[in-house]
Amino acid sequence: MNVIKSLTQNKVAMVGFGILFMFVVIALFGPYLYDGSPWRMVQRPFLPPFQNSNYILGTDTLGRDVLAGLIYGARISLLVGLVSTTIALLIGIPLGAYAGYYGGWVDEVLMRFTEIFQTVPSFALAVVLVAIFEPSVYSITGAIAIVSWPPVARLVRGEFLSLRSQEYVLAAKLNGQTNRNIIMREILPNSLSPIIVLASLMVASAILLESSLSFLGLGDPEIMSWGYMIGAAKTVIRQAWWLSFIPGIAIAITVLSLNLLGEGLNEALNPKLSGKRES
Amino acid sequence: MKKIIMGAVIACLPFTSSAYAEDPQEGGTINVVVQPEPPSLMIGMYSNATTQQVGGNIFEGLMRYDKDLNPHPLLATAWENSEDGKTWTFHLKEGVVWHDGKPFTSADVVFSIDKLLRETNARLRGSLAFVDSITAPDDYTVVFQLNQPFGPFIRLFEVGTTPMLPKHIYAGTDYKLNPANHHPIGTGPFVFKEWKKGSFIHLAKNENYHVKGLPHIDELYWHVIPDAASRSVAFETGKIDVLPGGSVENFDVPRLTELDNACVTTDGWEFFSPHAWLWLNNRQGPTSDKRFRQAVMYSMDREFAKSVLWNDYGKIAKGPVGSKTKFYDDSLPNYEYNPEKAKALLAEMGYDGTPVRLMAMPYGETWQRWTEVIKQNLEEVGIKTQIVSTDVAGWNQKIGDWDYDISFTYLYQYGDPALGVSRTYLSNNIAKGSPWNNAEGYVNKQVDQWFNEAAVAFPDAKRAELYSKAQHQIVEDVPVAWLMELEFPTIYNCKVQNLVDSAIGVNDAFGTAWIKQ
Amino acid sequence: MSVQTLLYIGGRLVKGAAVLLVIAIFNFFLIRMAPGDPAQVLAGEAGATDAIFLQQLREQFGLDQPLYYQLWIYVSNLMQFDMGITYRQQMPVFDLIMDRMPATLLLTGAAFLLSLLLGILAGVVAAAKHRKWADSAITVAALIFYATPLFWLAMMAALFFSVYLEWLPSFGMQTVGQDLTGWQKVTDIALHLILPASTLGLFFTAVYARMMRTSMIETSRLDFVKTAKAKGMKPSRVTTHHILRNALLPVVTLAGLQAGQLIGGAVLTETVFAWPGIGRLMFEALFQRDYNLLLGVFFVSSAMVVIFNLITDVIYCVVDPRIELSK
Repeated sequence: MNVIKSLTQNKVAMVGFGILFMFVVIALFGPYLYDGSPWRMVQRPFLPPFQNSNYILGTDTLGRDVLAGLIYGARISLLVGLVSTTIALLIGIPLGAYAGYYGGWVDEVLMRFTEIFQTVPSFALAVVLVAIFEPSVYSITGAIAIVSWPPVARLVRGEFLSLRSQEYVLAAKLNGQTNRNIIMREILPNSLSPIIVLASLMVASAILLESSLSFLGLGDPEIMSWGYMIGAAKTVIRQAWWLSFIPGIAIAITVLSLNLLGEGLNEALNPKLSGKRES
Repeated sequence: MKKIIMGAVIACLPFTSSAYAEDPQEGGTINVVVQPEPPSLMIGMYSNATTQQVGGNIFEGLMRYDKDLNPHPLLATAWENSEDGKTWTFHLKEGVVWHDGKPFTSADVVFSIDKLLRETNARLRGSLAFVDSITAPDDYTVVFQLNQPFGPFIRLFEVGTTPMLPKHIYAGTDYKLNPANHHPIGTGPFVFKEWKKGSFIHLAKNENYHVKGLPHIDELYWHVIPDAASRSVAFETGKIDVLPGGSVENFDVPRLTELDNACVTTDGWEFFSPHAWLWLNNRQGPTSDKRFRQAVMYSMDREFAKSVLWNDYGKIAKGPVGSKTKFYDDSLPNYEYNPEKAKALLAEMGYDGTPVRLMAMPYGETWQRWTEVIKQNLEEVGIKTQIVSTDVAGWNQKIGDWDYDISFTYLYQYGDPALGVSRTYLSNNIAKGSPWNNAEGYVNKQVDQWFNEAAVAFPDAKRAELYSKAQHQIVEDVPVAWLMELEFPTIYNCKVQNLVDSAIGVNDAFGTAWIKQ
Repeated sequence: MSVQTLLYIGGRLVKGAAVLLVIAIFNFFLIRMAPGDPAQVLAGEAGATDAIFLQQLREQFGLDQPLYYQLWIYVSNLMQFDMGITYRQQMPVFDLIMDRMPATLLLTGAAFLLSLLLGILAGVVAAAKHRKWADSAITVAALIFYATPLFWLAMMAALFFSVYLEWLPSFGMQTVGQDLTGWQKVTDIALHLILPASTLGLFFTAVYARMMRTSMIETSRLDFVKTAKAKGMKPSRVTTHHILRNALLPVVTLAGLQAGQLIGGAVLTETVFAWPGIGRLMFEALFQRDYNLLLGVFFVSSAMVVIFNLITDVIYCVVDPRIELSK
């Protein structure tokens, strides 16, 4: 298990992993350990941080506990990030695999299709999709998935294009294996490492995208999220800067940890590059 | 025939005496915020709030109304009502000219009301059902023949409801496509100069204005600043002199009003008296049960919302009629904040925990926050609540299609229950497709009868009695959950004098305003 | 330019036009899946309305026609470069977009140049000082900016530089209510531009810096660089002549591909700083259900992407003649 070994030896990646792990724990168990709904009005509005030991990060415009908001917000961020990336992979991998494996007109059609999604400005498209299907955790996840699959398709296609003429693939063909089998068993496993690296970065950008949508008021109104907290604090930034400052830090740290992990994975999975690093 | 003389020929706009303690100074420019940018300035076809704000200085109605909603002469100098209440005779001011120099006569009045507005103005159309004929015996007299006495008739003539429009421009044309819509021609104190879309609207002093000595201001700029925080900053830095009510976020109001040169008034909304409530769908689900609706009333901490969200501006609404609207009954019982009572009512009806959808109103921060507060209030008495968020188009459609359980709204009252209140409760006003009628689906034949009789009862004492009965019954039935009588503070630079002097506030304010150097 | 190149560009333009047409049709149906229509929005703002008024508006906008007919009208107008009339402003869509376009181009152009220059510079420095503290500092800074939400950065920048220090204006493109001319106007706009352009640019600066650094390090290990060094060339000359030129390629390519997307991505920055560009216009059009306007903004910004991609390819070819355009 070379990969895990080299990953665990990468200090930076482990820091990223550690922070991320902490956020996952908070997202999973925080709401059970920390008693308090993020929506309940518990104290006077605009209580600054570190003034009341019960509400250590203070309260927002309506007197709601900021710390509770942060804890619940971790959930939506990670959930949307993971699920939307999974969906994007489920769209992008088959599309790219077929295009790269068969080539010819299949490739042409599928890539033109991908091109359409790459040509429409992606953030604008996500905004429109969420607004049209009305903000909810489903529409947000779906919209993020829809705007983020094209790079996956491109990457997978490229991998398949270069791998399909490899000897072991040709051998499998001669053995009479079905195309499906060749795609699933022979080529895909060999192109997994760049996909994994890309996926980890996609989770990071999905979290950023989700927070941007919530900031614009296109978040799920039932779910407390970091982007919502910043958006709701925008108009009071002069009176209470910490209301927008604190959740912003939370987003930045999460995304940063994912990026660090992604880079670590990249080095661990790509021996060529990690070899270079030692030089 | 005994005639009741209600107006007198006065050369100057009449109800400004207190502000005239000081001699007004001439000249200067006022910069005002306009938010959102109006779709058009053609006040006869668009009744959008900002169309009225700007257009109300270009166009005029026959009358102006003071803060107690009493009519005062403007384009009409005097008016009489016959003894049976069915014939109204208006005498017009002589020597008034349109901005293009043509004289204003009774033909314009007949055309505006009977032809153009009857076709284009949805709100007036309802009231005009009581008007059989409008005739002009001579150039300066107009006679309205009603089919029965219509109490609110005298409150129909402010510029937003019944603006006077030039017949010589519009007669025989397709009103909506008339080029004059882009270059409005009225009789008002200001003439249209330029509209740079997305940036500003420029009006200039009408040198031939029919009221001698007015207006005092030379130039009027309405600035389009789409971002709320930016509007605040523009006022702070002195780039903007007037922030009409509702043009900055409520959270910014305390800070702005504390500025050195900031003056603030909540006057000038008496005619509209914006009334906020929750639509409760009376047709289906838990909200179809009267006890549930009463429980909603008891569950809401409206004082909290008023102080945190509205900076203590406004008044807790007791019932369907606002306290500044005619025939408001102060003896109504009050639904105080009482979660225990709400829980008891829910237990009595056997509420089974069916979740209700609470639809936010997409009109900005305050309303979003208010939705969250109400959800919290409802959940605390055990009502399972799910917030649905949507945008303006979606909100309109869902209310119009009755596809909601609970939703916010606020509506204007237009001074008289027959104009702005009964529309929400009359059962014959239930129709899909509009968010402004009886969208909650309330049916009470007794209330229908009281409202219908009150609209045409004569004189006012009779109307008051009927409206009182209706109010008591409605408050008992809780067809909608009343929240607040809203107050939108107008924030302005103190150098602007005599800004708000009518019941429609900044909508016709600048004709009499002046700048103190 | 050779005939071949021209043919290639022509072919790409045709393909691009086809893609744009499909996008327009796709968007046409997409936006109509939204609840409500422009008539309801206008009526909704009016505060009082009835079925007659709604019907009048729909007739005026042509929304009472069957959908396939509306699509036909829209597409055939689009073929003649006519994007229709906005419902709200009653103005040709094209005019309104062109009215707002300079603001967006100014913002994104400034952000683009800033991020490219700063990113390349930082990348080169980091690579040159590989494994020294300057490298670490740049890498860490790039990582942080890469992870920070753009809108949040914008708000914090506005808070610090406008509210706290009072150095820079926090919103808009020009000072409201002052008719400035000449240099005063240029200075005024430039001051307003600093905050939005730098916040929009910072993310991409981080992207380019990281990429440039990697690219420089990788290129420096290539054989021809080693040969040059072995021949005794001065290190600085090796860096500028051999490494930099080759390392720039992937960065320029990526930048070109992102240039078009920048326009769509400016929505957030334009919102925070109330910048009167087409990003905001799109946002407003969406909520007002101004179908024509929204479709127009999408069309124009997609067209930008197509054009920028093409320009990138052509530049790529100029920078590195070994690459053939017909690939």
